[in-house]
Amino acid sequence: MNRRHRRLAGWGVVLVLAAGSAACRRPAQPGDPLPGLSKVERARFDSGRVAFENVFTPGTGLGPLFNADGCAECHEEPVTGGAGDEIERHAAAFHATPPTGARPCDELVALGGPVFQQRVTPALRAAVGIDSEPVPPEATAIAGRSSPDIFGFGLLDAVPDSEILARSDPDDRDRDGISGRPNRFFDGRLGRFGRKALVPTLREFNDGATVAEQGVTNPTAPDEGTFGGRPFPPETDPTPEPEISRETIDLVDFFVRLLAPPAPLRLNGQTRHGRAAFDSIGCAACHVPALHTADGPILALRHRTVAAYTDLLLHDMGPELADICLANATPSEFRTEPLMGVRLMTRFLHDGRATTLEQAIELHNGEAARSRDRFRTLTAEDRAALVAFLKTL
Amino acid sequence: MSRCVLASFCIIAAFPTAATAQQPSAPTHSMQGAVRVVDVRGRAVEVTTGVGMALRIVRLQVPADVRVTAAGAALALSQLAPGDIVRVSYGGKPGGYLAYTIERVGRMATGLEGTP
Repeated sequence: MNRRHRRLAGWGVVLVLAAGSAACRRPAQPGDPLPGLSKVERARFDSGRVAFENVFTPGTGLGPLFNADGCAECHEEPVTGGAGDEIERHAAAFHATPPTGARPCDELVALGGPVFQQRVTPALRAAVGIDSEPVPPEATAIAGRSSPDIFGFGLLDAVPDSEILARSDPDDRDRDGISGRPNRFFDGRLGRFGRKALVPTLREFNDGATVAEQGVTNPTAPDEGTFGGRPFPPETDPTPEPEISRETIDLVDFFVRLLAPPAPLRLNGQTRHGRAAFDSIGCAACHVPALHTADGPILALRHRTVAAYTDLLLHDMGPELADICLANATPSEFRTEPLMGVRLMTRFLHDGRATTLEQAIELHNGEAARSRDRFRTLTAEDRAALVAFLKTL
Repeated sequence: MSRCVLASFCIIAAFPTAATAQQPSAPTHSMQGAVRVVDVRGRAVEVTTGVGMALRIVRLQVPADVRVTAAGAALALSQLAPGDIVRVSYGGKPGGYLAYTIERVGRMATGLEGTP
């Protein structure tokens, strides 16, 4: 064997080992990082988990209003980054025929909305005598919001706007009864995070969450806000703003961004049949099985196929599920919920009202009514197969 | 010098200082958000903005000489409407914020102009 042949044989061995390693790689478990992180990225991910699990106190910036004392209080099951059993409270005022000089949706921002925190620090309770932020009488709806798992959200963030907008069909021109449309943040950018797809990026969602959920300000969101539109008495917010550093919020963001979606379970005969039923009754029209990420600075997020089972667009889900409006989203419009990791959930829909997947399907209406009706006409065996398929995701 | 003349000097000398305190000389902030309220009589607009779900309302005074535009053309303040997306440069003043420029760049319902 000459030198050239030896070199080629050497490369062949490397390729076979690399392929074998990829094939034998342990499937991502809940809480794992995305595969392919460098040592530096992995160390940063682990530090981010510590920051995510930090528990705040009033002395370290918690409150005066808050829903949780740390990220992991609500994102905890079965591991850090998972779902939670907390149901928080959002409110808004929707007027289909708005008063002159107003938008149809008032998020009640001037009165403390749309997130109305349910807990207060002892100092705020002592100063103003409240146990939670009051929802003003102007609200036309109060919504419950469950805490979803956040596995794979970094991949959703890396999907380009063009892929989302390509599926938008607000006037149902293809006449399939499905008319997804995008929501937009107040500055006009495409939204994708949150149950009404308000927030454009994961970074903003994380930065806003420390303030809206924990009352902990950060350099991007340094404003503590108000309670019911009134400023906090100074003695109730003694920690100087921002209450966490840029470095800390960067670590939290890095951890969330690189949490892997749980690997779907291997299909068997029944679940393969269920997947076919999922497609045939039209679920996949909104719960789009695969999205694709774009180029980006982090290799683990770059050019990936994501088994997201969402189109990240708003759909009318009918009057029974309707609650608040948010920016362009009407009360009955919700973003298609991603189904990656749905097997880990114990409560379903935006407010956790369904305790089984069958109930959640039955509660679909509006644009999803046709698929729900088709689900009802399936044989018991086919319905069970479809639900079994969902429990592989 | 009579007390009256002295008082006049004091008023004249103090006036520019007071005016400077009322109005910063250059914008210190910028933002892009959605118009919530236009108060033509009070020469003010309220803009909804924020980070993620932590939303905020910024109320801005709009002096008569502030340039309000859309696609390069001048607009009257009364031509702004709730749901307009605006890019604003502004600065702080005692008791609030002061707009320096306001540019309409889109509508909430349709997004930014010139983008899909």
